[in-house]
This record gives sequence, C-alpha cells and structure tokens, in this order.
Amino acid sequence: MAIMDFLFNLLPHLVNGIALGLLFALIALGFMLIIGVMEVINLAHGSMFALGAYVALVIMSPEGGISAPFLQPWFGIDIIPRYVAGLVIAPVIVGVFGMGLELCLRRTYGKDPLYGLLLTFGAALVIEEIIRIIWGHGEYVLPVPKGIRGGFIYADLIWSNYRFFAAGFSIFMIGLLWCFIEKTPYGAIIKAGAHDNEMVRALGINLPKLRLFVFAFGTALAAIAGIIMAPIWGIRPQVGVDAVVPAFVIIVLGGVGSFWGAVIAGLMVGMIVGLTAAYYSDWSLLSMYLLLLVVVTFRARGLMGKVSLLER
Amino acid sequence: MERMISETSKWFTPQMLVAFAIFGTLPLWLEWVGLYSYIGLEVLIWVIFALGFNLLLGYTGLPSFGHGAFLGIGGYAMGWFQLNAVPNLWLGLLFAIFITALFGAAVALFVSHRRGIYFALLTLAFGQVFFFVASKWTTLTGGEDGMLNIKRLPADFGFVSFSLQDNYALYYFAFAMFVVTVLVLWRLVNSPFGKVIKAIKQNEMRVGFLGYNVYFFKWLVFTISCAVAGLAGGLFAMAQEGAYVQVMSLQWSGIIVLMTLIGGGFVSFWGALIGTVVFYLARDILGTFTDTWLLWYGLMFMVLVMFKPEGIAGMWQDGVKYLRRRRAAGTPPVVAEPARD
Repeated sequence: MAIMDFLFNLLPHLVNGIALGLLFALIALGFMLIIGVMEVINLAHGSMFALGAYVALVIMSPEGGISAPFLQPWFGIDIIPRYVAGLVIAPVIVGVFGMGLELCLRRTYGKDPLYGLLLTFGAALVIEEIIRIIWGHGEYVLPVPKGIRGGFIYADLIWSNYRFFAAGFSIFMIGLLWCFIEKTPYGAIIKAGAHDNEMVRALGINLPKLRLFVFAFGTALAAIAGIIMAPIWGIRPQVGVDAVVPAFVIIVLGGVGSFWGAVIAGLMVGMIVGLTAAYYSDWSLLSMYLLLLVVVTFRARGLMGKVSLLER
Repeated sequence: MERMISETSKWFTPQMLVAFAIFGTLPLWLEWVGLYSYIGLEVLIWVIFALGFNLLLGYTGLPSFGHGAFLGIGGYAMGWFQLNAVPNLWLGLLFAIFITALFGAAVALFVSHRRGIYFALLTLAFGQVFFFVASKWTTLTGGEDGMLNIKRLPADFGFVSFSLQDNYALYYFAFAMFVVTVLVLWRLVNSPFGKVIKAIKQNEMRVGFLGYNVYFFKWLVFTISCAVAGLAGGLFAMAQEGAYVQVMSLQWSGIIVLMTLIGGGFVSFWGALIGTVVFYLARDILGTFTDTWLLWYGLMFMVLVMFKPEGIAGMWQDGVKYLRRRRAAGTPPVVAEPARD
C-alpha cells in the first residue's frame, strides 16, 4: 500500500512535469527548425520568447506597460477575444523581428557557424535591453480567460486548470507542426533545405526566401511558447535565458534534426525537472544538465541525432 | 598566420613592451583622465582572464561558453583556502590555480572530443552546472550573498612584506602576475605546442593524420586556460574582497566571448587585451551617458560580427597592410610638388 501512496503523491508532480515537458518541446521545436534549415544556433530564441510574452501583454492587458488612448475601447471588450487576438498577433510581430535578425545573419552564411551563434548572442543582449527600456525591470502577470484560470479539486488534490490548457495547447501545436512539416509541400521544402541546401537551390527554389520564412516561423513559435508559458513563469526581462537554455539542452539531448527526438527529450527534461522539483526544488534545474551530460557522454549525437553539418 | 617568423622566436616584442609600459604607468595617469583606481585593477584582472580564454577561442578555435564558471571557482578556492586553511597569499593563489585547473581538467575530459558548436553547447552546460551548484550550495560558497570577508593578504617575500590593502598596491601585484602570464602565454603560443593548437584550429583531422594526439592537446589547452582563469579568479576575489556567483552566469560567460572577439582574439594575441579594455571603457563612458549601455555595446558587437569578425586587431592589421602596400607600390601619399627651376 505504501508504494501506491507514494505513486499517488507523485502524480501531481508527474502531471506538472509532462505539462512542462510539452511546453519545453514547443520552445525547442522552433529552435530546431532554425538549426535544421539554416545551421544557426539562435541564442536569441529566448529573447524572442520573452518578447512574444511582452507583446501579447500589451494586446491583452490595459496594464501592459504601453498604453495608448485609442486602445481604450479595445480593453472594454471581453478577455477571450483579446486573448485569442494576442495569441495570433504577437507571434506575427515577433516573426517580423525574426526576419530582421535573419537579414543581419545573411552576412555570416558560409562562414564558421560560430559567427551565427555570436551574432544571435549579441541580438539576445540587445532585445533584452530593449525590453528593459520599454517595460522596465518589474514582473508582469498575463491575464487569461476565466475558463482556464483557477483550479479544481480531484481526489483531495488541487489541479491547476491552466496546466491542462497549456499541455493541451502544446500537443495541438506540436501536432500542427508535425502535419505542416510532414504533410505539406512547404514542409517538404523545409526538410529538403535542412538536408541539402545546394540541391534545393538547384531545383529552383528561392533559398533566401525560404530561410527568411523559416526564421520568421521559428521565432513566431518561440513567441507562442512565451505567451503560453507566461502565466506559469511570469513575465520578466531575463525569462529569455530560462527558456533558451532548456531549448538547447533538449536539442542536444534529442539530437539535432530529429522532430520526435526533440519531443521525447522535451518530455524527459520536463519530467526530470518536475520530479526533482517535488523533492529538491532548489536543484530542479540542475537535474536537466546532469541528464544532458550523462546522455551526451554515451551518445555523442543525442538520442536520435544524425550527422550534422554543425560538427565541422 | 600574419606574424613574421623572426617575431615569433623573441621573448619580448614591441607590442608587449608597449602593453607593459601602458599598464605599468597606469596608476600615474588613471585619475588624471577621470577614471578611478579600482577600474584599473578590475580591467587588469579581466585581461589576464581574457588572455587565458583566448588560448582556447583564438588559438585553438574552441568556443567555450562556460568559462566564467572557472573564474568563479578560482575565487571560491582562494577564499576557502584563506578562511579555512592557511592565510597565506602565495599558497592561496597556488591553491586557486590548482583547483581550477583540476576542475578544468575534469571538464576537458568530456569536451575534448567535441568541436565547434557541440563544444560550445557542452561547455555552456558545464558552466551552468557549476553556476547552479555555486548558487545553491550556501554552506560552501555563501550562495547568492557570496563568500564574504576575503582579505587582501600581504605579499610576503620572507625578507620584506608588502601590504596589498591599497588598490594601487594590489594593482601592481596584479601587474606582476599579468607580466608573468603574458610572458608564459607568449612563449606557449609560439612554441611547438602553439603550432599544434593553431593547426588544430585550421584542420583537426589533418593534425590527427600527422600523428598528433588531438584530444590530448585539446585537453591540455583547456586545462591551461582554466589554470589562468583560476589565477584571475583568485586575484578578482582579492580585489572584490569576496567571491560572488554572478561572474559564473551565462551572461558573463558570454561577455568574455564578446570581449575577446571584439578585440580581435581570432587574429592577434593582443585582441583579448584590447577587447577587455574596450569593454570596460564602453561600460564606463557609455554608462555615464545612458543606463542602457549594454544595448549599444550589443549593437556594436552585432555590427562587428557582420562586417569585421576579426575585430579591432583585424582592422589594425588591415590598416598596417594597406600602408605597407602603398609604400611598396611607391605611390607617394601626397601629390608631389612641381619641381622648381
């Protein structure tokens, strides 16, 4: 009986871990899309994640740091349309920022991939400072519709509604992304671009345009993840680092270029962080790195990785 | 490589003497140009750290994104030794160097088989592990508050003992360490060992075919770089009179990469030094005009990576080359005056 009790007590942490893992996978997939097609480690991914949350805040909340008089009627309407609007518009705006970054990155193509990494690190610094200038250092709370707020009691335990919403939404997004990559001609082009850039160009596909699109798409995914994560983590300028580090851990763990590798690694990281948080909350993030080091020591390319151009 | 053969075999070079002269006389004019004594000390310590870091980044082509962790470890080792073992400056510094090199050697065992981006990611992960352990293991490191009350012990030579309480006294102590570091590293990068690591940067596989044990060389260069970081960390703990966890964070590990690259670590030994000085000058000069100096520094860095990744030293070399070419071509720089009868 003791073991059953133990497992039952573990259940909420397990659920939290899975929700966290799905969100991590969502962050990591946008990151991976960019690595796959462009061979760029986008260290600004976390900043785009944070920027997405801030832009959504402006759209959703009257206390969003930026207030314009003409926006007042907008805040009079119900929260649900505002929430949906934020979820759609903010990623588009962040995607435009992503396009700007891609245009800067063009000068580093064909050189050592280190330069791309360094450029995006600089971009991360710049975006974080811009966020500080506009929104200050304080923490904001993203409003969410009533239906997904609060919690319910089941089997003497309190369950947060939002976690279930976040997990469900992440599954939906991951499914959508999979369909897009596997079932549409655009996905086929993206995959081909990741496999062999030169051949894609030889087939008459506009490679610069493809890269611009993929970068915008990847950063928009980061923004969506940022909006979904915001009620759980809160919105702070340095939240970007908290997001980009798990993303790269997941990519290295799952293997560069593997869709399901990233999802599995995301779930693993989420579970191990969630479970260690149950017992040693101070050390929960450390477990992620230890997992990474153990896996990478034995499997150099991660769980499902293939040979990548980045190894040169 | 741009350096001339004759130059590489020398113990001293003109650039080195210029650097020594500038840093050696710094206390005489630092306050005259409107700066303060502590900034000189901090710059000098970070220069030592950056020179050691550049051994990895610039010479071997290994981008370590977790090097701040080793600076932190050096500081903690220095403090721990002083507070719990023997309060002696020399032994403390040696202990800091030794412990940091030990940690570096252990990490290098994992990372020396990697290169490029994978190397960057693994060092980043290790750096984060150390950062987390240091910020949570409060009984050892003091956690977020830092390890406090580290003293500036006197430099005891047996027959004479110097107090290092004053910032300038400690500055000259750090300057002596800087001179030693420069001489050692300069010999190292211009030795056969230096030739091998430069070759590893260009083509690791070919060096392996030549019969060199590439992994051993990468392990060794990482360990040496960490030992230098330990020295800098020990000095930094003395300068701050405490060891703090902030330098171990991802941001500071990234900033050391920025510094080295902006200065031109890829093309010059002195790139790391130039970059560190520029970073601190940017912080103090831009910082007086605006609170958001990191924004401008970040933008400057982005522009540099896009248009001149060889950094400031690269621009200097281009300028020198341009002048030489002009002189060799024999075209006079000004229009010749018409001859008078």
